[in-house]
Amino acid sequence: MVSKTEEEQVNRLEGQVENGGGGEWEYLCLVRKLKLRRSFNVLKYGLSILNNPKKRSALGSEEWTLYEQVAIAAMDCQRLDLAKDFIKILAEKFPESKRVGRLEALLLEAMDLWEEAEKAYSSLLEDNELDPVIHKRRVAMAKAQGNISGAIEWLNKYLEIFMADHDAWRELAEIYVSLQMYKQAAFCYEELILSQPTIPLYHLAYADVLYTLGGLENLHMAKKYYASTTDLTGGKNTRALFGICLCTSAIEQLTKGRNKDDKENSQLASLSATALEKDYKQRAPNKVSLLASTLRSLKLSS
Amino acid sequence: MGVGFAVGVLGVLILSHAAYFTIQYRSLLKITEEQFSGPPINVVMELIAGLVLCMWAALTVPGKFLSILPQSDENQVVALPANLDFMIFNHRGKTLPSSMDAKFK
Repeated sequence: MVSKTEEEQVNRLEGQVENGGGGEWEYLCLVRKLKLRRSFNVLKYGLSILNNPKKRSALGSEEWTLYEQVAIAAMDCQRLDLAKDFIKILAEKFPESKRVGRLEALLLEAMDLWEEAEKAYSSLLEDNELDPVIHKRRVAMAKAQGNISGAIEWLNKYLEIFMADHDAWRELAEIYVSLQMYKQAAFCYEELILSQPTIPLYHLAYADVLYTLGGLENLHMAKKYYASTTDLTGGKNTRALFGICLCTSAIEQLTKGRNKDDKENSQLASLSATALEKDYKQRAPNKVSLLASTLRSLKLSS
Repeated sequence: MGVGFAVGVLGVLILSHAAYFTIQYRSLLKITEEQFSGPPINVVMELIAGLVLCMWAALTVPGKFLSILPQSDENQVVALPANLDFMIFNHRGKTLPSSMDAKFK
C-alpha cells in the first residue's frame, strides 16, 4: 500500500537522481520496499552503481540483492543479455541456490521458452512442494501465453492452499473482471475487504463491480460501498462521490413511481453533489459548468 | 530530547522519594502505635508532582507521533503495489526499440 507521503518521497528521490544529485541507492531501496514497477529507472541507476567499482564495494553484502533487482528490471526492459550476465554472476556466488534457480527460470520465461521454464519450475517444486512464488509464476506463465482459463485454474488451486494471499485474490479479481465474470470478481473483492477492511481502494473496486452488475439490490449495496469509501478517505475520493450520485439516479430510475423512504437517499446524493462541486471549484474551476449540467441531467432523468 | 529525559529521571526520583518517605512514616507510626490512615499531605503533593513530570517526559521523549486516521493527508492510500509476483514480460514494451544502451562492464 503506497501512501501519499511515500509516493511523494519516491517522486522526490527520482527527481533528485535524474538531475544528478546522488541518492541512487536510497531510491532503489525505496522502490524495492514499496514494490513499485519502475524498471527503466531501476535498470539505469542500478547499472550506474554496478559499473562503478567504488560504489559497488561500498554496498557490501547488499550488492547481491541489487543484482537480483537489476536483473529483473533488465528482463522487464527486454535487455536479456544484461539479465543473463547478472544471473551468471549470482550463480557463481551462490551455486545450488533456489533463489538463483528461480531467477534462471524467470529468464527462460522472459525469453519465451515456456516448456523449459515449466520444466525448471517443476524441478524446483520437487525440492520444495509449497513454494508460493513458484506457484504464482506458473499462473503468470499461463497468463503470458494467453491461456486465461488455465491461469484461473492454477490460481484457484493456489488459493485453496494459500487462502490468505491478498495479491493473489486481487489478481484473480482483475482476471475475472477482464473476462466480464462479475459475480466471481465480486466474491474475490469480498474476500479482500474481509481481510483488509481499511483500504478504501478495495471498497471502491467492489462498488464498481456491483454497479456494473446492476439490479436493485446490487445498486443499493454499491451505494453503501461508495459511501464507505467516502468515509474512509474523508470525502477526498472523487470517483466515490460520483458513484453515489450515479447509484442514486439509477435506483430512482428503477423504482419509478414507488415513493419509498427517499429522503435519506436524496440527502446523501445532494451532499455528495455539493462536495463534488466544491472540489471542482477548487481544483478545476473551468469544468464547474460541465459538472453542474451533468448533475442536473442525472436528477432530471428520474 | 535531553530535557525530556532529565525531567523523566527527576519524576522517577520524586516518586521513589515519596515511597521511601511513606515507608519511614509507617515505621514511625509503628513506634508510636498509631493507625496508618493515609500518607501525609506532603507525600501526596510529591506524588502528584512526580506523576505530572513523568507523564510530560513520556509524551515528549519518544518524538513525533504518527497519525492513525485513514483520512489524514499522509495516510491516504494512493496506489496498491504493482503485484510483482504475477509480472509478465511479453508486454507491449517488447516491441519498442530499446532506448537503453548502457552496458555492464
